[in-house]
Amino acid sequence: MEKVKLKLLYSDLRPELEMIEKELEVAVDSNSLLLNEASLHLLQAGGKRIRPVFVLLAGKFGDYNVDVMKQVAVPLELIHMASLVHDDVIDDSEMRRGQATVKAQWNNSVAMYTGDFILARALEYITVIEDPKIHDILSRTMIEVCRGEIIQIEDKFKLDQSVRDYLRRIKRKTALLISSSCELGATVSGTDKETAARLRRFGYFIGMSFQITDDILDFTSSDEELGKPAGSDFIQGNITLPVLFARKDPEIYSRLKETVGEAMTDSERRAVVEMIRNSSALKEAKAVSDLYLDKALQELAHLPKGNASKTMRKIALFIGKRKF
Amino acid sequence: MNDLQIHSKITSMEIDVLQALHQRTLDKYTAGPSIERARLFFLLLPFFDGKQWSNDIEDSAKTVAIVYAALHAHDQVEEDSPISKSQQLTVLAGDFYSGIYYQMLSNTNNIKLIQLLASGIIGVSEKKASLYEKTIMPASGVEAAAEVIETELLNIFYNFYGFSQYRAISKPALEYVHFSNQLDAYRNGVETNILRKLNHALPLPLYSERWLLDKLDASHAELTKVLDAHPMDFGLKNFMLHQITPHQHLAEQLTREG
Repeated sequence: MEKVKLKLLYSDLRPELEMIEKELEVAVDSNSLLLNEASLHLLQAGGKRIRPVFVLLAGKFGDYNVDVMKQVAVPLELIHMASLVHDDVIDDSEMRRGQATVKAQWNNSVAMYTGDFILARALEYITVIEDPKIHDILSRTMIEVCRGEIIQIEDKFKLDQSVRDYLRRIKRKTALLISSSCELGATVSGTDKETAARLRRFGYFIGMSFQITDDILDFTSSDEELGKPAGSDFIQGNITLPVLFARKDPEIYSRLKETVGEAMTDSERRAVVEMIRNSSALKEAKAVSDLYLDKALQELAHLPKGNASKTMRKIALFIGKRKF
Repeated sequence: MNDLQIHSKITSMEIDVLQALHQRTLDKYTAGPSIERARLFFLLLPFFDGKQWSNDIEDSAKTVAIVYAALHAHDQVEEDSPISKSQQLTVLAGDFYSGIYYQMLSNTNNIKLIQLLASGIIGVSEKKASLYEKTIMPASGVEAAAEVIETELLNIFYNFYGFSQYRAISKPALEYVHFSNQLDAYRNGVETNILRKLNHALPLPLYSERWLLDKLDASHAELTKVLDAHPMDFGLKNFMLHQITPHQHLAEQLTREG
């Protein structure tokens, strides 16, 4: 439902997004039946396509040509898809977007090769653009996203990490790819440097707010809404902002210390979720998310007015309010 | 060029590649990047053979070694193993190495080679995936898949820099190395994807050993024949035959075992 609402916000882009959807289908076409099936399985599970949306919207601030924009929008979504297939192996996830993951449907190796195949398709696709700046931005982003994930694994179960550690991690893990989507869209459409920089920062702030909201929803949503048990992040050892704020209470801290990294029964998990819900942590985390949202809106305020900036604003506000 | 100089050049390139891929956490928790010396030898073969060589070409050769390391990392991901830091980081290692090769080539503005290597990775991934398809693959299909997996990216490098004359040498040599590794796995009771597919293709799994021994003979004979006709330095040919493909003929092995 929320995904439908979000898609309505960028319904102006529907023709372009339909075109991109078709391009994605062509892009994942493979001589290998197995890779073809696995990639289509992933593609047809759908998704918010938020990265292509930001590429297209950023492009509207420059010389917009959808045939050029798609050369960036398609590979960015492919890179995101490739990372999802590999993430499911990392997290040993059975389900994603309500359907079996590639690793569950086939096996880990097929998931690895599917991810490699899709990533290679993305690079094959984007290299039709010769501008070295595009490749500089994208290659740096890919490396930083990996670094973020590596740090996330390193920081697992570390209850004593700082808020700064968390923010640095989600910057790499989530915000950078959204930020780069905006910057790449601006760059290929030839906007001036200042506009490109503002759009990059807008994407970064939105990405930060988006991830913090996601981490809050892991505690506030129901199991049904999430499609997985509430508090899953904590169970998996991911120490998110709500947990970092909640641990200020010595009683909660000692309870979290006892449970982190330990196998939990369902009632113990519910008790941890309840404890976080009843603390001030979610409110504090929401305040940080709102701070990033405000910063995103401030960047937007300096950009030329028009449909693109209006849609970006709507998406930003939606992200701040989304329920799951 | 003598053996020592060849070894030294390969080691120097190996160190450069390892440095480019250095990442503290990955180095600590994973097996680290797999850089096969035989592959480095073939990436450097035009240099050893006195062909025009530059820093750019050498950097590109390193990126090809990095792509192999990236794909190899993903081959190491295990099935049905419980979540472990090592397994999780092995997945990320492959992705990280891919990012590094992309960045290295984009820094030298070698966009065309990025594209060609990406197409090569697609071909390699398709062949690797084909080993998981349920249909029975004939032994010739297994051989063809192994050839693409082992040589495709190297061929792209050779073609790109006008070194395609070395394809005829690297093909039997790398096939030899590949089948030799498969034979070791077979004898140690390790089931690889290639062996699994081969066991299904042949009337009896026991035939796999014989099939591999035949392939080793055939690859070595092909390599010797190609080298005989190639105007390459004798020392270099000797290095290849004795250090890269140190062959023991099937008949010789059977005699010893018998």
